Amino acid sequence: MPIFTSAEYMAILLSLKVSVVATLVSLPFGFAAAYLMTFRQFRGKVALDVAVNLPLTLPPVVIGYILLLLLGQKGFIGQHLLQPLGITLIFTWKAAVIATAVVGFPLMVRSIRLGMESVDERLIQAARTLGAGWLDTIVTVIIPLSFRGIVAGAALMFARGLGEFGATIVVAGNIPGVTQTIPLAIYEYTSSPDGDRMALALCLVSVLLSVVVLLLHEYLNRRIAKAD
Amino acid sequence: MNRIVSTLVVALACLLPVTALAGEINLFVAASMREVVNELSADFAVKNSGVTFKKNYGASGALAKQIENGAPADIFISANVEWMDYMKKKKLADDRSVATFAYNSLVFAGRPGVKAASLHDVTKLEKIAIGSPKSVPAGEYATEAFRKAGIDKQLEKKLVMAKDVRECLLYADRGEVDGAFVYKTDALQVAKSAKILFTVPQQYYPRVTYPMALTVTGGKKAEAAGFYRFLQSAEAKAVLAKHGFLVK
Repeated sequence: MPIFTSAEYMAILLSLKVSVVATLVSLPFGFAAAYLMTFRQFRGKVALDVAVNLPLTLPPVVIGYILLLLLGQKGFIGQHLLQPLGITLIFTWKAAVIATAVVGFPLMVRSIRLGMESVDERLIQAARTLGAGWLDTIVTVIIPLSFRGIVAGAALMFARGLGEFGATIVVAGNIPGVTQTIPLAIYEYTSSPDGDRMALALCLVSVLLSVVVLLLHEYLNRRIAKAD
Repeated sequence: MNRIVSTLVVALACLLPVTALAGEINLFVAASMREVVNELSADFAVKNSGVTFKKNYGASGALAKQIENGAPADIFISANVEWMDYMKKKKLADDRSVATFAYNSLVFAGRPGVKAASLHDVTKLEKIAIGSPKSVPAGEYATEAFRKAGIDKQLEKKLVMAKDVRECLLYADRGEVDGAFVYKTDALQVAKSAKILFTVPQQYYPRVTYPMALTVTGGKKAEAAGFYRFLQSAEAKAVLAKHGFLVK
């Protein structure tokens, strides 16, 4: 096992940071989208469904490119919203967070929806007849009963985030110490003549992290299943 | 069901002779050579009927590793000498056939309004794109030039590393960066709004060399050897020059 230099430790830390932040930022939005799609009837529901699931089937490079077009200096959001506010996203770790959040979003929404669909409708109706408002119902009935789905969704998105490559490399670049996450560092090492050892070592780290996250995911699932 | 199976069998039978064709040449070529090699192989195919090409363009390193793992290649053109040395070390290239195919030069490209006429002007800009130095040769040459010109410390925080030269140009074209260090040929072919602002003086970086070689299997094929000779002809050199490559 070769000893990592600070650049590799930075890449590992950055991967964790980007995934954690992307997951936390997405949770409220993911919950809202899942709630709308499970409990509400409205026009354009199919459109929302397609829009939410689109990143699942689009190549991540396309997502990265679209984000670059939108958020860049000449992009619609970049020029009219971000620049007046003095925010630069492109080529910073925040761009990596956005890319990761978009790519992982469908996975999160799917899991939360599964959790919500398992909630007994009669319980929700009972809460409403007992005088609980919709917010009250969400907090006291829906969140506790779909908690498993929420945790599973967050874990899945986190795991997906650790592996995000295609969208990140376009919208955030591959800058060591700034936007270079584990997959980007691996990519760089595999395409340099003497980088095999480092690439393999980083692959090992990547595998270990994924195994730990997936085991944790499984463990939480079982604990919550038992509690039920 | 039977009909589907028989259709599939016929379809497969149609595919087989193509893969076994004697006059097929497999080219593994650095991505920055795409346009010029497309033109050269088309010229060659016109003059030599029966010869077909299978072309695989990509990063030199990725190609070298594909060949190492058994991908069928007859001719390999690398964008730098290191990967050709790697091929020689692994006994994948026919040693006697290793030769220089062409040279390239490093330029700074940006949108027309950007004021930069020399390396030192670049330090006054905000953001500059280069290829990741470890994996993109153009990025390696650029960082080498920064060191030689003594501006590496000033530029450190301004650099945006892209995965290849084309991505550098995408950033420059869209104005996401003030400019990018890329090969002259890419700036000429790919850039839309970005223009070449200045050429980096040759004394600051080693010469950008594209070595080529027949692989061990390619050396045994008459068609591949024929195309290899064509690549060294005056006619091929004229095509290279037309695309902005240097031939001596």
